[in-house]
Amino acid sequence: MQTSAAPVLQLTDIEKIYQTKTIETVALHRINLTIGRGEFVSIMGPSGCGKSTLLSLMGLLDEPTHGTVAVDGRPVQSYSDKELAGLRNLKIGFVFQSYHLINDLAVLDNVELPLLYRPGLSGKDRRQRALAALDKVGLSARTNHFPSQLSGGQRQRVAIARALAGAPEIILADEPTGNLDSVMGEEIMDLLLGLNREHGTTIVMVTHDEQQALKTQRLIRLFDGSQVG
Amino acid sequence: MIRHLFTLVWNRRRANFLLITEMFLAFVVLFVVGSLLAYYQRNYRTPLGFAYAQVWRVDLDPGTQPQAGRLATVRQVMARLRALPGVVSVGRTSSNTPFSGSFNNTDVGAGKEGKGATRASGFYVEDDLREVFQVPLVAGRWFGRRDDGAALPPAVLTRDLAEQLFPRQSPLGQVVLRSDEQFRVVGVAERFRSDGDLEALRPVFLMRVSPQDTALGEASTLLLRVRPGAGALLERQMRTETLAIAKGWNVGITTLAKQRAAQLKEALTPIGALVLVCVFLVVNVALGLFGVLWQAINQRRAELGVRRAMGATAGGISKQVVGEVLVLTTFGLLLGLLVAVQFPLLGAFDVPAGVYFTAMAAAAAGLYALAVGCALYPSQLAAGIQPAVALREE
Repeated sequence: MQTSAAPVLQLTDIEKIYQTKTIETVALHRINLTIGRGEFVSIMGPSGCGKSTLLSLMGLLDEPTHGTVAVDGRPVQSYSDKELAGLRNLKIGFVFQSYHLINDLAVLDNVELPLLYRPGLSGKDRRQRALAALDKVGLSARTNHFPSQLSGGQRQRVAIARALAGAPEIILADEPTGNLDSVMGEEIMDLLLGLNREHGTTIVMVTHDEQQALKTQRLIRLFDGSQVG
Repeated sequence: MIRHLFTLVWNRRRANFLLITEMFLAFVVLFVVGSLLAYYQRNYRTPLGFAYAQVWRVDLDPGTQPQAGRLATVRQVMARLRALPGVVSVGRTSSNTPFSGSFNNTDVGAGKEGKGATRASGFYVEDDLREVFQVPLVAGRWFGRRDDGAALPPAVLTRDLAEQLFPRQSPLGQVVLRSDEQFRVVGVAERFRSDGDLEALRPVFLMRVSPQDTALGEASTLLLRVRPGAGALLERQMRTETLAIAKGWNVGITTLAKQRAAQLKEALTPIGALVLVCVFLVVNVALGLFGVLWQAINQRRAELGVRRAMGATAGGISKQVVGEVLVLTTFGLLLGLLVAVQFPLLGAFDVPAGVYFTAMAAAAAGLYALAVGCALYPSQLAAGIQPAVALREE
C-alpha cells in the first residue's frame, strides 16, 4: 500500500507545559510534525521525554499549551468536546501498553466498545464489525472469554481488534509491545505492520525497542520534550 | 447502550451484590411506609359520611345519685339545652360517638336466621341525631315517631353492609338479626366513618333509641348541633343550665372537632416516627451509595479514560455512570417488586390492592430519585476525568 502525501495529522509549534503552583514542567517544546496518510511512524526517546504526551495530543485526548493540531488539514482547537469525541471515534484507534481492556466485559463486548459511541449503528452491525475485527487479529475463537482468561499477547490483540473495529484511519499505539515477551512482541508488531501494509492504516507507535522502530517507515526521536531526529 | 449497561452491571453482579441488596432493602422500606401512607391518605380522602363541625358532645354522669328519675333528669336537661338559642338540635346516643376511640362491634346477619353474618360497628341513636350529624341517606328514611309502634325495631344500614347482606336486592323492609334481636331495615346511609379519618371504611348498623328507651342505661351521652360561632359562652351556659337540673352530676362538654384533632394527633404521631425512621434509613442508604459510587469512580479512572479515547463525550460518561446506577436500582427494584407484589396478590391486611400498587409506584419513583440524586455528583466527577491523565496512571 502506497502512502499519500496528504497529511492526516499535522502538529505545528506544539508546546505542552504542565503547571502546578510551584513547578512548571515543559513536556513538549516546539514540535512540528506531519504524519502522512498511510504512514507507519515510530516515536522513540527516553522515559519522560514527552512521547506519551505527544501521542495524547495526536489522539485529541489533550490540548497543547501552544500550537495547533490539525486533522485532515483542519485545526481542532476550536472543536467542542462533542466534536472531538466524534473525531476520536471515527478517525482514531488507540492501543495501550497495558491494554486497558475492561475486565468485566467479554472479548466481543470490549471490541464493540468504540462502536457503542457511534450513532446509527444497530446492535447487529456492531456485533458483525467486532467479529470481523477479532477475525483480523486471529481471535475469533475467544469472543466469549474475559480478558483475565487470555495471555498478554492475546489481550493486546483484543486491544488492536478494538482499535480496528471502528475502521479508523489512524492507530495510535503507546508501547504496544512493552508488556510482552519478545515472541509476542514480534507477533503484535507483525500485526501492526500487516494492517499498515494491507489496509493502509496510518500508525503512530511509541516504542522503546529500536529493532521494532526500525521496521517502521519513519522514526522520530524525542529528548527532553524536543524533537531531535 | 442500555444493553451494554445491563451487561456491565450483570457481569459485575458479585461486586454489585451489596449495592443491589441495599437498593432492595431501601425499596422494601419505602414500600412499607408508602403503603401505610397511601392507606391512610386514601382513608383520609374518603368522606366521613356525616358532619362533625358544630357538633358538641355532652357526657352526663349521675355518679352516686339515686337511680330513680335519672332518665327524667336527662330528658329535662335535653329539653333545656334544646331551648338555648345557640343549640340547633339534641339527641342521645351510645357512648361510641365519632372520634371517641370507643367501638361497639356487633355481628349482623340477613333474615330471621341471621344469614351471612357480618361484623359491623353498632350505634344507638335518637331520631334527632340525623339533624345533628346530617347523615345523607341513599335509600329509605331515618328513624321517626312512626317507628314507635312498629313490630320490629327499625335499623339503618350503611351501603356496604346492605350490599353484603342483601346483594342485588333492596334492603328496605328486610329483616336483619343482631344478637338474637330482629330489626327491620328502614333506611340506607352512604357511609358513617365514626372510627376516624384515618381508619378504613367499615359497615355500620344504626339502631333507634326512642325518647323513653332505657337501652342506653341511665348514664347518657348527648350530641348537639350548635349554631356556627358558638363558643365558650355557650359552653358555660350549657354547663350552668345542666347542673341546675342535674344537681350533683358530673358534666363533660367537648366538641367533635376537638376529639377529631386529638385522635388525628394520636394516630399521626407513630406514623411520623415511622416516617422519620424511614428517612433516617434512606439517608443512610444514600450516603452509602454515594460513597461507593465515589470510590468506584476513582477505581475506574482508566476505564473511563479508555471510553473517552474511544469516543465518549464528557456528558456521555456522566450519563453512563447515572445509567449504571439506574440499572443497579432496577435489579434491586425487581427483587423488591417480587416481594411487594405478594401483598396485593394475597390480599394482605385487607388493604385494597390499589393502595399497594400506589405504594409500589411511589417507592419505585423514590428509589430512582434517590439513585439519581446520589449518582449526580460522582457522575460529574467521572465526566471531569482527563483521559490523557487517567490513561497514564495505570
